[in-house]
Amino acid sequence: MTAFDETLPIIAEILKRHKADLSDMDWLLVNRDLKGKIRLIAPVEVSESKLAPTLEEIAKELESRLGDRAYPAEYAILYDENREDACKGASLFPLEGFDNIEVADRLPVSGNWLSFAREDSGAPLVVFFSVKGGVGRSTAIAASALSLAQKGKKVLVLDMDLASPGLSSALLPENRRPEYGIVDWLIEDLVGNGNFILDRMYAKSDIIRDEEVFVVPAHGREPGEYVSKLGRAWMPVVRDDGATESWPQRLRRMVDELKKALDPEIVLIDSRSGIDDLASACVTDLGARLILLFAFDDEQTWTGCQILFRHWRHASVARKIRERLQLVAAMMPETDTLERLEEMREAGYELFAAEMYDAIPPGEMIEERWNFEESDEFAPHSPWLIRRHQGFTSLKTLRGRLSKIEESTVAHVFGPLIQGLGELIEERDSDG
Amino acid sequence: METDFLDAHERHWEDGELLFDNTRWANADHLYGIAAECGLKSLMAVFGMPFDAAKGRPADVADCKHIDAIQRRYESYRSGCPFGAGYALPDSSVFDDWDVSQRYSHRSVFDRDRVDKHRGGTEAIRGLVQQARREGLLK
Repeated sequence: MTAFDETLPIIAEILKRHKADLSDMDWLLVNRDLKGKIRLIAPVEVSESKLAPTLEEIAKELESRLGDRAYPAEYAILYDENREDACKGASLFPLEGFDNIEVADRLPVSGNWLSFAREDSGAPLVVFFSVKGGVGRSTAIAASALSLAQKGKKVLVLDMDLASPGLSSALLPENRRPEYGIVDWLIEDLVGNGNFILDRMYAKSDIIRDEEVFVVPAHGREPGEYVSKLGRAWMPVVRDDGATESWPQRLRRMVDELKKALDPEIVLIDSRSGIDDLASACVTDLGARLILLFAFDDEQTWTGCQILFRHWRHASVARKIRERLQLVAAMMPETDTLERLEEMREAGYELFAAEMYDAIPPGEMIEERWNFEESDEFAPHSPWLIRRHQGFTSLKTLRGRLSKIEESTVAHVFGPLIQGLGELIEERDSDG
Repeated sequence: METDFLDAHERHWEDGELLFDNTRWANADHLYGIAAECGLKSLMAVFGMPFDAAKGRPADVADCKHIDAIQRRYESYRSGCPFGAGYALPDSSVFDDWDVSQRYSHRSVFDRDRVDKHRGGTEAIRGLVQQARREGLLK
């Protein structure tokens, strides 16, 4: 048996032996299908060229080395008219050691963590993400939304933790909750009714009078048949022109429509935690300006971050995301805070240096590459500090208390976060 | 003989192309219709169409029809399967004027325009079959 993780190194080894012949090809895809089985996809003209026997030989080697992870040699090569058709629906990444060979990876889910949408030029969108749950993400969103609103900013908050909704309860009392939520929009959009409910899926928080925090919950006042709706939310739609729009793309369209309707100065998104399909959509598909990685200094967090960072590096997309990342030290205990923060910075540096930062070749200066000193407090690996505070431990009781908590307490607990978000809005204002 | 919709799809297409290249419109048109039917049935099997292996045909008689009647059945199976969303037919009316009994008609009633339309419809189905191969749903 050949395990999933063993296949690509074996394929690279086989193809390297034929590198001289294969270098004549414009392109070749190593197709990894929904089951993780391997085939080659080659340009159709190759099927009648002198390269065809080489590919057939490779197909036999793949069958013999990969066993059930390959197709019988007679079915192992697909020919396509053009590369664009052959790549449809796949995430692509280069096969190490080759300029003209890529892996076309096909997943049964939309969350491949690789489809980075371009940053939106409008109000900055900030995603609050964590590898593990219970790190105070939702509380931090609620507190920063209110704090920004107190400074006169118009804030839009979306509860994208659809599988475990709850953020809206911290910001909206029962009687103010809107009729519909995000899941309702995803369901109605499947039959073309999304825009009919758009103005009934947000409500203004009443915690601070005359300030503007708009909240879009995961579900409406009445969750209704939430499980049945959530199970359908992941459907793609086929548009009139025949193009397929995946659910993350639909979600992006929904966010764009909400931005158009409400014209916020900043959009805060509570993502699902973990290496999850929905989290992937929040982090990569919505055009985020800033992705906050809420972290505890523990193995689960660092291993999860390493898995994601390595995935991005191997797929050669790290450059597309690294400038948007910022580590956040979540719920840091009041004792030995600075020592703990320093330890976290060290761990963060180790991770970013290994997976995200450019290597510095001999003779070059650090400024010439995307790299930071470990001690650089403005580097993405230097965590923004959020302190643990008794008053912010429970979302359930947070709503009643948020309005009563002193502004100075909020600043003490969430200072760097609120400052960072404020700067993001100012940057956008000064950009035009 | 064992049923193999996928291979039947391929061979009818290949033979249709041979006839098309030799301006044999009538029989090319017939083969494109059969190729399209077999292509859709190979996909319907992926999307959950019950198959009676003993009889070598779909278990439901409603699925044992030709291309002019099978497209609505295809749509039912496709829309009921999580994998089906990316397999919509761009135009489901292309074969409305195709009929298996046209094999008894005189050759003079077949022209290039008619065959081009059915050839295009079969090509679209071939695209979906190829997509299913890339995704590993068909061999």
